[in-house]
Amino acid sequence: MPEKIRFMGSLILLMLLAVLLCPAHAQEDIVRVADRVFEAPMRPPVAFHHDAHNEKAGLDDCSICHHTYENGKKQEGSDSVGMECSECHFSKDRNNAVDLINAYHLQCNGCHASRKAGPVMCGECHRRR
Amino acid sequence: MIHDIYSLLRGPMVWLAFCIFAGGMVFRITAMVGLARQKDRVVFDYMNTRYALRSILHWMVPFAGVNMRKHPVMTLVAFVFHLSVLATPLFLCAHILLVKASWNLSWWFLPDGVADVMTACVVAACGFFLCRRMLLPDVRYLTTASDLFLLALVASPFISGFWACHQWPGYPVVMMAHMLSGEILLAAIPFTRLIHMFFFPFTRGYMGSEFGGVRHAKDW
Repeated sequence: MPEKIRFMGSLILLMLLAVLLCPAHAQEDIVRVADRVFEAPMRPPVAFHHDAHNEKAGLDDCSICHHTYENGKKQEGSDSVGMECSECHFSKDRNNAVDLINAYHLQCNGCHASRKAGPVMCGECHRRR
Repeated sequence: MIHDIYSLLRGPMVWLAFCIFAGGMVFRITAMVGLARQKDRVVFDYMNTRYALRSILHWMVPFAGVNMRKHPVMTLVAFVFHLSVLATPLFLCAHILLVKASWNLSWWFLPDGVADVMTACVVAACGFFLCRRMLLPDVRYLTTASDLFLLALVASPFISGFWACHQWPGYPVVMMAHMLSGEILLAAIPFTRLIHMFFFPFTRGYMGSEFGGVRHAKDW
C-alpha cells in the first residue's frame, strides 16, 4: 500500500512540475536580448522581437543564430536552442569561443551589415529611450 | 543607402584616414629634417638629448614654467584640453568595442560619465580659445580664418560624438557626421598646424638644447 501512495505522489509531483515548467519553455514572447550574466550593463538593453524579427528576416533555420561549434567548426544539423549565449561565450574554459559582448555584436551587426538590412550603429539597437 | 555610407565610414575611410595620418606624419618629419639639414645645420650641432628631454618634461608639467604661472587660466584650460582631446577618443568604451569587434583587441576604458565630462571640456576649451582669439588684441592680430577653421575641425567630432552618444534627435546622421569629422580631423593633422602634435618634441627639444648647452640657462 505505501508503495502505491509513493508512486501516485511522485506522479502528481511530476505533473505539477511539468505544468510549472511549461511557460518557461515556451519561447513565444521574447521582446529583448537578455542574458543573466549582464548584471550591470553599461548600455540600455536591446529590444528584439524574436518572432517578428525572424519572419521579417526570413529565418527558418534556428541554427543560423542558435549555432553550435566544435573545435572551431560549425556543427551542421545541430542547434543550441534553449541555451543562453553566455553558456559558451562567457565561461572561463570557453575553448576560443568569442566573448559574449563580441558574440552579440558580431552575430547581430555582422548579419545586418552583410544583408544591408537592420540596425548597424550602436544607438540603433541600444536605444536610450 | 545608409548601410553603404556606414560601411564606407566604418571600414575603408578609417583605413584611409589612418594611412594619411601616419604617412603624412612620416612625410612631414622627413621633410622638416631635410629642410633643417639644408638651411639650418646648427640645429643638429646643438641638439642635446639631455637638455632636450629636460625641457620637454618641464613643459609637460602644469605650472612648471614662469609663463604658465603668469597665465594660470590659459595654462589650466590648455592642459585639460590636451589631456582630454587625446585621452577621450583613445579610451572611449564605444571606440574600443568597435576595435574589439574588428580585431578582438581591447584595452582599459574610461567610465562613460568621465568621458562625457572630458568631451564637454574639449568643446568648452575650443570656445575659450575662440574667445581668446577674438578678444585679446595681440592674439587677434595673429588670427586668420584658418585658426577658426582649425578650432571647428577639432571641436566637431567631439560635439557630434557627444550628440550621438546621448542619442539626441537625428541620431543616424549625426553618428555618421561624427565618424566623417573624426576621419577628416585625423587626416588633417599632418597638413595643418595640428602637426605640433609631432613637431613639439623637436621644437621644444631644440629650445631646451640651445638654452641648456649654449646659453647655460633654463628655458622655462
